[in-house]
Amino acid sequence: MPMKKYALYKLLKQNNNLRNLRHPMFERNKFMKFLGWFMFLYYAALLIFLGVALGLGMGEHGIAAFHYLDGGLPIIIIIDFWVRFILQETPAQTVRPYRLLPISRSFLMNVYLVSSGFSLGNLFWWFMLVPFGIISVMPLLGWGGLAGWLLGWWMLCVANGFAYLFIRSLCMKHLAWAALPALVHGIWVALMVLPKHNLLDMPCTELMYGFALWNPLPYLLGMLLVAASYWANYKLQLQITYEDVAQKEEVEMKTARDFSFFNRFGTLGEYLKMEMKLRLRNKQVRTQFFVGLGLMLFFTGMMYFTDVYDNTFMKSFICLYEYIILGLMTLVGIMCFEGNYIDGLMSRRESIYDLLCAKYYFNSIILLVPFLTVLPLTIIGKISIWMNLGYLFFTIGVIYPCIFQLAVYNKESIPLNQKLIGKQGNMMQQIVAIAALVLPLGIERISVLLVGPVWGYAPLVLLGIVGLYTHKLWLRNIYNRFMKRRYLLMDGFRNSRKS
Amino acid sequence: MNITLSNLSKTFGEKVAVDINQFEISSGQILGLVGNNGAGKSTLFRLMLDLIKPDSGRVLMGTTDVSQGEEWKDWTGAYIDDSFLIDYLTPDEYFAFIAKVSGITSEQRNAFLEKFSHFMAGELTGQKKLIRNLSAGNKQKVGIVAAMMLQPKILILDEPFNFLDPSSQSAIKRLIVQYNQESGATILISSHNLQHTVDISTRIALLENGHIIRDIEGGDSHAMATLEEYFQLHE
Repeated sequence: MPMKKYALYKLLKQNNNLRNLRHPMFERNKFMKFLGWFMFLYYAALLIFLGVALGLGMGEHGIAAFHYLDGGLPIIIIIDFWVRFILQETPAQTVRPYRLLPISRSFLMNVYLVSSGFSLGNLFWWFMLVPFGIISVMPLLGWGGLAGWLLGWWMLCVANGFAYLFIRSLCMKHLAWAALPALVHGIWVALMVLPKHNLLDMPCTELMYGFALWNPLPYLLGMLLVAASYWANYKLQLQITYEDVAQKEEVEMKTARDFSFFNRFGTLGEYLKMEMKLRLRNKQVRTQFFVGLGLMLFFTGMMYFTDVYDNTFMKSFICLYEYIILGLMTLVGIMCFEGNYIDGLMSRRESIYDLLCAKYYFNSIILLVPFLTVLPLTIIGKISIWMNLGYLFFTIGVIYPCIFQLAVYNKESIPLNQKLIGKQGNMMQQIVAIAALVLPLGIERISVLLVGPVWGYAPLVLLGIVGLYTHKLWLRNIYNRFMKRRYLLMDGFRNSRKS
Repeated sequence: MNITLSNLSKTFGEKVAVDINQFEISSGQILGLVGNNGAGKSTLFRLMLDLIKPDSGRVLMGTTDVSQGEEWKDWTGAYIDDSFLIDYLTPDEYFAFIAKVSGITSEQRNAFLEKFSHFMAGELTGQKKLIRNLSAGNKQKVGIVAAMMLQPKILILDEPFNFLDPSSQSAIKRLIVQYNQESGATILISSHNLQHTVDISTRIALLENGHIIRDIEGGDSHAMATLEEYFQLHE
C-alpha cells in the first residue's frame, strides 16, 4: 500500500536532515559544528541587540519609528538574498537520490519547495524584528498589528528565498546569471541613494504598514510574490532534475585546450597545465576561482570609483584584500580538490612537491592582476607604489607560505563539480584565514607609525622577498611534512571522497 | 624484481584485512590474487603501494622498503580504482601527463599507445571527452594503459577485467602476458574471474580473511580445479 503523502513528506524531511547531519565532512568535524552554533548564536544575539537598540533609539519618533526600518526593507532583502548563497542548497541537489524511486518527481519538488518556504531560516530576521516590533509596533497598533507586520516580513523573506533558489539554480548552469540580482539590487540601491529623496522609502513603508493594518492588498501582493516565485522555481527545478537524469552535460568538449605554452617548463609545466585545467573544467573550482577573481576586481573598482575609503587605513585594508582574497578563497582548501585523485598522485615520485610548486607559481603569477590594475592609481597618487609593492611581495612571500602550510593538515576531499553548502572548513583553516587578514595590517600599521608611509612598507617588501627567495626550501619542508602524515591524510581524503 | 611481504598485517576495527607472515613473489612471476569480497585483495595492493599504513610488517620491492622512500615508484605501475585517474583530463592529456612526469618522450609514448590501439578500440585517443565522461570500462582501460606506459618492473592491477567487454578482456590478457615475457616484469593482478586468472598467472594466491590460505602453481587444470573446489562452483 503506498505511503500516505504526509508520511512520505515527513520521511523525506527526516532523510534530508540525516543527510546533512551524517555528511562525512560535517560528522567528523566537531570544530565546524561548534563554529556553526557559535555563529548562529552570535548573529541571533546581534540581531536582538539591533532590534532593541533601533526600537529604543527610534522610539521617540512615534509611529514613524517602524517606518524607518520599513524604509530599509530593500537593504534587508538584499543582505538576506546574498547570505543565502553561503547557507542554502537547491532542491535539485537534494532530490537527486530519489529520482529513480517510485515517487513522483513533482511531489518531491513540492516537498522540498514547501520545506524551503517553511524553513526556520526564513524567520531569522525575526530575532531583530520581534524585539523591535514589541517596542515600536505593538504600542501603537497592538498585538494584532505586530502579528500582521511580522507576517508581512516573513512572506517577503519566503519570496526572497524562492528568488534566491531560482537564481542559484541558474547560476549552476552559468555563473553569469548572478549578474541579474546584482543588477536589480544595484538599481534598488541607486533609487535609494542617488535621488534627493529615497524613492523606495514610501512604497516600502506603505507596504509594511498595510501588513500591520491587515489591509488585504499587501497580503494579496505578498501571496502573489510567493506564488509566482514558487511556480517559477517549481518549473525550473523540475527541468534541472530532468536534465540531470538525462545527463545533458556536455560530454564532448568543443575545444580541449592544452595550454601548450607550459610545455617549455617540463614536468613543472605539466602540473601548471593541470592547475589551469582544474580551474576551467570543474564547476566548483571554476566558480570559486572566478568569484575570487571578481571580488579582486571589485575591490580595485572600489578604489577607483569611490572616495568613501580614502582614509589611509581603509586604503590599506582594501588593497590588502585585493591581494589576498583569491588566495584565501582558493588556497585555504589546498589539496582538498586533489583529494579526489590522491592515490594516483601518491603513486608517482615527488608529485606532491611538483604540484605544490605549480600551485605556488600559479597563484603568484595571478597576483599580477591586482598589481597591474592598481598601478594607474599609484600613478595618479591615490595609492602609494610602496603599498602596492608591499602587499604584492608580502602576499607572495609571507601569506602564501602560511596558507600553504594547510597542505599538511587538510584531509577532506572536496567534490570537483558538486557544491557543498556550509560543510567545508576546519579550525586550522579558520585560524590561517584570520591571521592572513590581521597579520599584514598589523605589521603595516606599526611599521608606518614608526618610520612613515614610504619606509613603513619596507618590512613587508623585505619579508616578502625573503619568502619568495626561499620558496623551494619551505615548499620542500611542507612536502616532507605532508609525506610524514601521508597515511592520515590519504585516509581522510578517501573517507570524505564519496559523499 | 622480487617482492617480499614480511609480517604484514592490517586490521580495520575488529576485521582483519591482511595478515601475512612471509610471502615472496619472485621476479618475472605473474601472481593472480583471488578471494571472495572482503578477503583483503585491494587492501593488500594498497599496502604494497604504501597507500595505507600497515599495523605491522613491511613490503620490500627488491631491497627497498616501500614505506621508507619513493624510488620504487619509478619502476612500479599500478591501477586500483578511479582515484588513480585525474578525471578532468582527456585520455590523451592524461597519457601525456603520465609520460612527461615519468620521463617518457612523446615518440616513446606514441609507439606505446600504438601497441595498445586494439585494446583502446579507437575510443580513448583522439577524443575530446574528459575521463569522467567515459564509460566504466573505458576508464578502466585508461588506468591500465597509464600503469603499463611506465614500462614498470612491477605492475599491480586490481581487477583489471572488470567492466571490460569480452574482446577487451581477451586483449588485456594477451598484452599482460606479452609484457611479462618481453620485460620480465613481476605482475600482480586480482580478479574474480577464475578462468582469466588461471589463463595468465604463473602462480595463484588464494586469500581468505586477509590470510593467504593456498599458494597454487598456475597455468594448469589442477589450479582451476583447486579454485573451483574452494569457490564451490560445482555442487
